[in-house]
Amino acid sequence: MSHAELDDLAGLALDRDDVSPDVQRHVDGCLQCTEAVDAFAAARALAGGGPLVAPPQHVRAQVMTHVRRGTPDARSAAIPLPVALESHPRARRGISPWLAGIAAALALLAGLGLGRLTGEPAPTPEAVDPGTVVAAADLTALDSDAARGVASAVETADAVTLRVSAEELGDGDGVHEVWLINVDGKRMVAIGLLASGDEGQFEVPLGLIDKGYRIVDISVEPDDGDPTHSGVSLARGELA
Amino acid sequence: MTVVAFPTRTPRYGGPVVTEAVTFDDEHDTSVEDVAARLVAGDETALEEVYDRWSALVHTYAHRALGDAHDAEDATQQVFVAAWHSRHTLTPSPSALPAWLIGIARHKISDVRAARARDARRAEAAITVDGVGITSEQSAEHDVAEQLVIRQVVQDLPDPRKTILFLAFWEGQSHAEISESTGLPLGTVKSHVRRGLIHIQQQLEGVRRESR
Repeated sequence: MSHAELDDLAGLALDRDDVSPDVQRHVDGCLQCTEAVDAFAAARALAGGGPLVAPPQHVRAQVMTHVRRGTPDARSAAIPLPVALESHPRARRGISPWLAGIAAALALLAGLGLGRLTGEPAPTPEAVDPGTVVAAADLTALDSDAARGVASAVETADAVTLRVSAEELGDGDGVHEVWLINVDGKRMVAIGLLASGDEGQFEVPLGLIDKGYRIVDISVEPDDGDPTHSGVSLARGELA
Repeated sequence: MTVVAFPTRTPRYGGPVVTEAVTFDDEHDTSVEDVAARLVAGDETALEEVYDRWSALVHTYAHRALGDAHDAEDATQQVFVAAWHSRHTLTPSPSALPAWLIGIARHKISDVRAARARDARRAEAAITVDGVGITSEQSAEHDVAEQLVIRQVVQDLPDPRKTILFLAFWEGQSHAEISESTGLPLGTVKSHVRRGLIHIQQQLEGVRRESR
């Protein structure tokens, strides 16, 4: 007789009498099958262990805080997230390329009107840094053309500062996070939070905007520990 | 989605059970490999999923090994932070994640023990028991880790197999009693218990292989 079926070997480990005498006889004289039955019996003996106890809630938040604060290496590895999410449709919170595409189109429309606006004075006082305004965008809501403020990129010798002066973002729950979305609709980086009110300045590396990260996006982020874009954008505009 | 060629029926037993990755259609869990791959790629949401799925395993293991709630919390936190920083060392496979996490947990646990031993020596206490104590502790701990892995494996099974296995292995009910209480035919109950045991054994082997 050939070796016993896995099912019978497991059956032998559970209850010998449940398996046909033919199979029992074979297994008794077969080292391989006997070893397999023993392995099943050992696994059975280990089943029955105490319940798994979840750690307290705060441990999760601590882990994620550590990870996000992490090393520069960990930080930069985390940034291209939307690309990874794109190939995993199950992930809930990435901006869909579709949405980003629409945003890009909207921003382009907004950009066309910008010629008139470039002469406008920069929204924030220039006292601290007399850099040059190299690009600006007016921000609008996504579902209408309602104005949501302005953003401007100011270049100094070694960095570009994005100045955001938003308005009418609403006072729902959550913090406002500023992102730069690449015009390719696939990449984005978070550049910071609007910590106090609707105004903020964010240094970004030289060349980032030139690489296509031109769409300024302001999202509202729930306090859920999830570092990715919530998918809820309050304002957008393309730097031009 | 990964396509895996499943055997059309249970292959005949032709070698040590442990070397064959025999998987039933309904038990193959591609989500584990998927989340592992995303973790390696640096996706923080994958770490959250890994945490949500395996933190109870790690935490319970640490608690049993260290016998202190606060140390267990610290160790759990350290395990997942370390997992994130060393994610490049993870090779995605169905059993890799629990094995890998348990492996990291072992290191953290021995770190805590070493620190305690240093403290103990400073206090000039408990040196004589050390040598004997640790070996038996470690082998008991090995069993604890495997028991917890099995518990997790069964928890992750779909019903009715999960319930049937809990009744059979944890409640000690006979097949007839389970058939009675679930209303399922006796043959169905037996088949679930057997296949469940096969699955448990294979997962256990996977974890043992990965943690070697």
